[in-house]
Amino acid sequence: MSGLYQISGSALLAQRQRLNLIASNLANADSTSSSTGQPYRARFDVFAAQPLQTNGGTDPTGAEGVRVQGVVTSQAPFKKVYAPGNPNANAQGYVIASNVSLVRQMSDLVSATQTYRANLAMLQQGQQIDRALINSL
Amino acid sequence: MPLLNSLNYYGQALEVGARVANLTAANIANADTPGYKARGLDFKRALDARLQTHDPVRAQYVRGLPVGLDGNNVSLGYEAMQAASNAARMRESLAFLKGDTQSLITALRPQANGQGG
Repeated sequence: MSGLYQISGSALLAQRQRLNLIASNLANADSTSSSTGQPYRARFDVFAAQPLQTNGGTDPTGAEGVRVQGVVTSQAPFKKVYAPGNPNANAQGYVIASNVSLVRQMSDLVSATQTYRANLAMLQQGQQIDRALINSL
Repeated sequence: MPLLNSLNYYGQALEVGARVANLTAANIANADTPGYKARGLDFKRALDARLQTHDPVRAQYVRGLPVGLDGNNVSLGYEAMQAASNAARMRESLAFLKGDTQSLITALRPQANGQGG
């Protein structure tokens, strides 16, 4: 069952990276400018299935792990907040803030946590069966 | 040779069980991958193929699951059910394998009271 550890392990890594991005998005939800000079844009990662690598090349059984294929930035419009006292405010007193949607981030967080748990449960079940197999010898 | 046959039978059942577990793990791992389609294995057909011929049965797409907007049709509930039933099946095979191994060891002992050997 060593393939199972590779598969669930890759998924735990991918989901953890997704959680990192969500944390970054939430932390910058109220940022008005970033290192690029523009307000912060929400980031999302895109997953892709990855064939399992075994000693003899690609695993023939068709089971695939997962990897983060890339990170895309959200093209949603920026929020406009009226805050005349803000140092980043324009002549009309408006501040351009990040385009992070808190609702979207929270639903993403729930989804990522749920999938992370499911992968962990699968990993633990595989471990239990392996232990039972060793104990039966 | 029936005892040795049964050792082979449960050994093959465990092999197929491990394959099913791998596929379930892959489906759960790809629960958020756009365009991914859940795959499964017909346990009985795969076991028969292993016991009779050496032509392995390929994994098949699971039918009848609702497809999401991103083209993914993995259902965590369905996979949890698959994982649980497959784990139970593997534990059964393990229990029988252990029992038969012990019977074999008993049969190999020279004295009926289990001494010697």
